[in-house]
Amino acid sequence: MDVFGNLLAGFQTALSLHNIYLCFIGCLFGTMVGVLPGIGPLAGISLLIPATYGLDATGAIIMLAGIYYGAMYGGSTTSILMNIPGESASVITCVDGYRMTQKGRGGAALFISAWGSFIGGNLSILGLMILAPLLANFATRFGPPEIFAVLVLAFLLLGSLGSGSFFKTMPMIILGMFLGTVGMDPLTGSFRFTHDVKDLYDGVGFVPVAMGAFGIGEILVATEESLVRIIHKVKMRELLPTREELRASWGPIFRGSGLGFMIGILPGSAHVLSSFVSYAVEKKLSQHPEEFGTGRIEGVAGPETANNSATGGAMIPFLGIGIPTGPATAVMMIALMIHGIRPGPLFISEQPQIFWGLIASMYIGNVILLILNLPLVGIFINLLRVPFRILFPLVLLICLVGSYSVSSSTFDLLVLLGSGVLGYIFRKLKYDLAPFILALIIGPLLEMSLRQSLMRSAGSLSIFWNNPITLTLFGASSLLFLWNLITALRPKSTWKKALEEE
Amino acid sequence: MIFLLTGIYGLIFSLHLPMGRWTEPGPGAFPFGLAVLLSFSGIMIIARTKTKKEEKQEGKTREFLRNLITPLSIVLLTLAFILVLERVGYVASVPVYLFILFFGICRYKLPLAAGMAVVFGLGSWYLFVKILGVQLPLSFWGI
Repeated sequence: MDVFGNLLAGFQTALSLHNIYLCFIGCLFGTMVGVLPGIGPLAGISLLIPATYGLDATGAIIMLAGIYYGAMYGGSTTSILMNIPGESASVITCVDGYRMTQKGRGGAALFISAWGSFIGGNLSILGLMILAPLLANFATRFGPPEIFAVLVLAFLLLGSLGSGSFFKTMPMIILGMFLGTVGMDPLTGSFRFTHDVKDLYDGVGFVPVAMGAFGIGEILVATEESLVRIIHKVKMRELLPTREELRASWGPIFRGSGLGFMIGILPGSAHVLSSFVSYAVEKKLSQHPEEFGTGRIEGVAGPETANNSATGGAMIPFLGIGIPTGPATAVMMIALMIHGIRPGPLFISEQPQIFWGLIASMYIGNVILLILNLPLVGIFINLLRVPFRILFPLVLLICLVGSYSVSSSTFDLLVLLGSGVLGYIFRKLKYDLAPFILALIIGPLLEMSLRQSLMRSAGSLSIFWNNPITLTLFGASSLLFLWNLITALRPKSTWKKALEEE
Repeated sequence: MIFLLTGIYGLIFSLHLPMGRWTEPGPGAFPFGLAVLLSFSGIMIIARTKTKKEEKQEGKTREFLRNLITPLSIVLLTLAFILVLERVGYVASVPVYLFILFFGICRYKLPLAAGMAVVFGLGSWYLFVKILGVQLPLSFWGI
């Protein structure tokens, strides 16, 4: 079946009342999570995983994806109106967005941000539905050596492009991979690091670790801060941008779409990186770069479009070859695995109703989000009036119940709490947790592919450079490693510094 | 320190596992390699930290400890809740847990904290058990 035929079938799946409802719930929850500082999209997705147990895999992924791209929309609202980024990808929006609010143009900034997100989101879904099947088709030629080479390159890219320095991110990756070795060895059946604890025979649960590190960890850090919130009100008639603002936004919106999509494919903090790069590009291209930071609409349009566009890009390696390149896609992969589905090169051909249903639901979700984030923006702003003192005990409770409901085990709750403490410590020490979770999930695949490759070649390492695919991938990995060694000795670039500070 | 300790733990316990041969790596080989890398990373990070300035260290430590009180209280309280959950049951333990959070940590007045604890505790039970069908530990009175 061609792309349009598949997409039509996808719309038939996505347009069922049940799936529209789930898409709406995901988008609504995502916007709320994006609006509320202190609860990121990862915590949001983790919190709703337990609610997907009773759903089929298509419904589950539609809802969780809705939270993912919904949070990108919602994150800009607090950045523009309160100078508090709702989530990390909207940090740069504060610079010009809040200045616009102070000048009385907050409504226009919100409009352009939502409009840019809508265009960027839709263009990136278009790219996703064309590129993911092509990548999956190419990846069907992959055996263990190729998978190993891809994963090595992915981890090195993650180390290079993550929000921390390379030498701070790599230990997190190794730690995640080490934790992934706990449990039964899939090749020999031996138990590793289980110490006769039966709860560890299947390994450390992904859900409690992800919910603990992102959910509880975020809450523990947030309880240290007292958030003073000054909320600017926006009237409906103030939402309309002027003709000049609209004209000035078109370029940044289309450039942001392309940049965000391409950066989204790369592992690491793609959303944050895409918004920073887009801002830098717009400033460079502007005839008045000195006015950036004083409330330029281009400083809102570009980054907000880019971080939404990155969402579609990030889905390509996840759905095409089963390698999540960001923490949000990793947590979505956990949800699919709970439903007995593991994305890989055969995922699109074997589960077309899930893939195309998801694609179609993302188009629908973008329309829902445009409605939620423009006429209904006032309702979400009111969410900020709910005191954090009420919110955090409830989030803690959802984490606890959500984690318990996976296997009805108190042990999982202890893992959850332990991961929360670990998440808190690593946040305080400014270590990025995303590589840790990614490595925990895809580390076992890396080990398996390495061992299978060596067994297949009778121990000869030549299997890794015998074919052009592995040779290219390992060549790129070596260059990347060398580049990191060299840049470690050089002063940091502005965006890297900003990412680390953020 | 976390990396170093985990690395040492990994080195000790992976040596108890079969290493296999180069042609057929055993279950201990990969974790052993990771443990070596973790230990090395830990040593490098500690060495780098030691060389950094220690001037404002005292002030920072005091601030860090002051900030630690609330998160630590939450962790200890949550640990206690986890340990009694299966013995006492969800309906009996959750309102108490929430009450201590609202009253002791969030500093709400006693009647408000008690009211919110009961409402949110029972409301969450209704949501999770009755609507979402989650299996939670039963209390003495069977719910």
